[in-house]
Amino acid sequence: MKRRDFMISAAGIVAGSALLPRMSFAAEGVIDWYTSSDSNILDFWTNTVKPAFEAANPGVSINLVDAGDGAGIISIAERAMAAKETGTDPQADFFESADAELPAGAIEAGIYANIKEAGLSNYDKVNPLAIESDYSLPYRGSQVLLAYDSTKLSAADAPKNWDDLVAWIKANPGQFVYNRPDKGGSGGNFVRRAIHQANGLDPSAFTVDNYTEEFGNEALGKAWELLQDIAPSLYDNGAYSSGNTQSIQLLAQGVVTMTPVWSDQVLQAIDQGVLPADTGLVQLQDLALAGGFTRSVVIENGVNRDASLKLADFILSEEIQSAILTELGGFPGVSWDYVAPELRERFADIVPKTIPTFPGGDWSGPINDGWYRNVAPNVDRNS
Amino acid sequence: MTDAAPAAPRPLIDSNDSRRPTGLLLVAIPVFLVGWLVIWPIINAIVRTLWRPDESGAIGFNLDSYVFFFSDQYSINNLTITLWTTLMCAILLLVICLPISLYLRFSAGRLPAYVQAMAIFPMFVPSIILAYAFIRVLGPNGMVDILLNSVGLPKIRTPYLTPWGPVIGLVWDNIPLTVLILLSGLGNVANQAIEAARDVGANRLQVFWHIILPRISNSVLVAISFAVLGIFSSFTLPYLLGPASPEMMGPFMNRTFREVNDPLNAITQAVITFCFCIAFGLFYVRSVARNQGK
Repeated sequence: MKRRDFMISAAGIVAGSALLPRMSFAAEGVIDWYTSSDSNILDFWTNTVKPAFEAANPGVSINLVDAGDGAGIISIAERAMAAKETGTDPQADFFESADAELPAGAIEAGIYANIKEAGLSNYDKVNPLAIESDYSLPYRGSQVLLAYDSTKLSAADAPKNWDDLVAWIKANPGQFVYNRPDKGGSGGNFVRRAIHQANGLDPSAFTVDNYTEEFGNEALGKAWELLQDIAPSLYDNGAYSSGNTQSIQLLAQGVVTMTPVWSDQVLQAIDQGVLPADTGLVQLQDLALAGGFTRSVVIENGVNRDASLKLADFILSEEIQSAILTELGGFPGVSWDYVAPELRERFADIVPKTIPTFPGGDWSGPINDGWYRNVAPNVDRNS
Repeated sequence: MTDAAPAAPRPLIDSNDSRRPTGLLLVAIPVFLVGWLVIWPIINAIVRTLWRPDESGAIGFNLDSYVFFFSDQYSINNLTITLWTTLMCAILLLVICLPISLYLRFSAGRLPAYVQAMAIFPMFVPSIILAYAFIRVLGPNGMVDILLNSVGLPKIRTPYLTPWGPVIGLVWDNIPLTVLILLSGLGNVANQAIEAARDVGANRLQVFWHIILPRISNSVLVAISFAVLGIFSSFTLPYLLGPASPEMMGPFMNRTFREVNDPLNAITQAVITFCFCIAFGLFYVRSVARNQGK
């Protein structure tokens, strides 16, 4: 009996001491903030958003935590669901980047705050094209554009639609490169643009749940033909860089004349001098290359729910939305009418009129695998 | 918890049987970790790919994923490029590292110290940094091209994004380990043996072939099997420097698992990679066992 008492109290002490530092973690007035984005986003929050928000809201601070990747955010959301069931503190208040549909059942479980009905003063400024769910707040976006070396190609000659682009690529062999679709979104969305091209330029033909093997093979097969057709005219007779950065590097070293790029990455590269200031940017006018918005969610059962909603409202303010353009190189989540006019003019080239997107879900696997099997090989690179 | 036995002065080497559990306890942690983190996942992977439900849902012995791998030209190409890369790296490593270690063994002074530092240097360079440095130097319009251009020579055919990219990167990355192992092997070669051979008129090549090589053959085997094991399953350098297709097994497995969401085929690829590695590993184990038998 004595021994059992000892075991129980020992186990209690161990469990208690393990919990102790975490208990002190979730404090009133400290917003526990998580992101799955790259380090440039974390830097932006550390240097711009956090100081501005804390100055405007004395007594509230933000604890910025890098959750790693999307899977990291989902596991914290699962923790919040478990906490909701047991009525405990989820120790999370704000996800900088999340999909309100994930993990499955999160909205039904009531862990995400309904942003639409939360009464945010800036909510009606949000670009209606970007809204996907009432439970998530699109506050920044980026889109894939074509960046080109304006010393080799004049803005007047830059291709403005897919057919011109293909004609230009074939007329200038070796001067275009895009990265492998699974290794970075710039090449990934170029491949998705080819899929749109091969299927009647209709982004609505692809939804997150309409993948079937038959439809997939048919729709993707036509896109692989388009991409195989241009492959011999690409850099090094059909080489594909291994990421967004490597494509920019090839452009910067003057190896290629044109490459697809993320808008925020290319503006940052120009800003940092990696690419020259006269680097040309062009968007296809028949259908833009796909892009996407980053959406934030607020945890409904978090200790700092109300402060987090204030933060959500704050990131839609003109101050932060302009900073997203000037400092981050992304584009705003609010409609362009709510951006300072001089910025609107300066960034006119990347203003998206339409924002085609391509669903993830079951489509990702077949696109990634199909591209590797059908487009990447089948080229005699020594010819 | 308290060992209350009155202590007699303990002999320096305790042959008493009662101390055995301490030794076993000390090896228990690494053995447990190897079992848990290496052996168990291997068994798990083999069983999961062989013993699984077929199309009708009945669980049983099933070789389909292996049949698919070996009947799929794309997978075969990836395996072939992996074997080719490994073989090329092994040959180049020997060709580069043997002369370096012979030089370091048989010369004295300041210069060999610098050469040794240069040879060991790659050990301290993370492979991701190596990859970007490679792109800057050997990549298109890189430093080599700029230097060649400044003296009016044509550009090189860049190995970036071709199968030679990973080969060059992996060889550079593996030089330190290979040189160190060969150097320790060359420590076994007695100066007297070489002098004796020279006295009876052997030239340099004969000394190398008849005196040095037999002494270090074991080290060569160990060095090559170490390098080959690492190269066969390498990831970063083939991923950043190699072509999109064919790809080496490391990036192929990772992509099948993460991007294609196909764990079964990813595990199958892993088991096949493991089978090749175990064959190389057996070389190493055999040479160590032979060494200890001496």
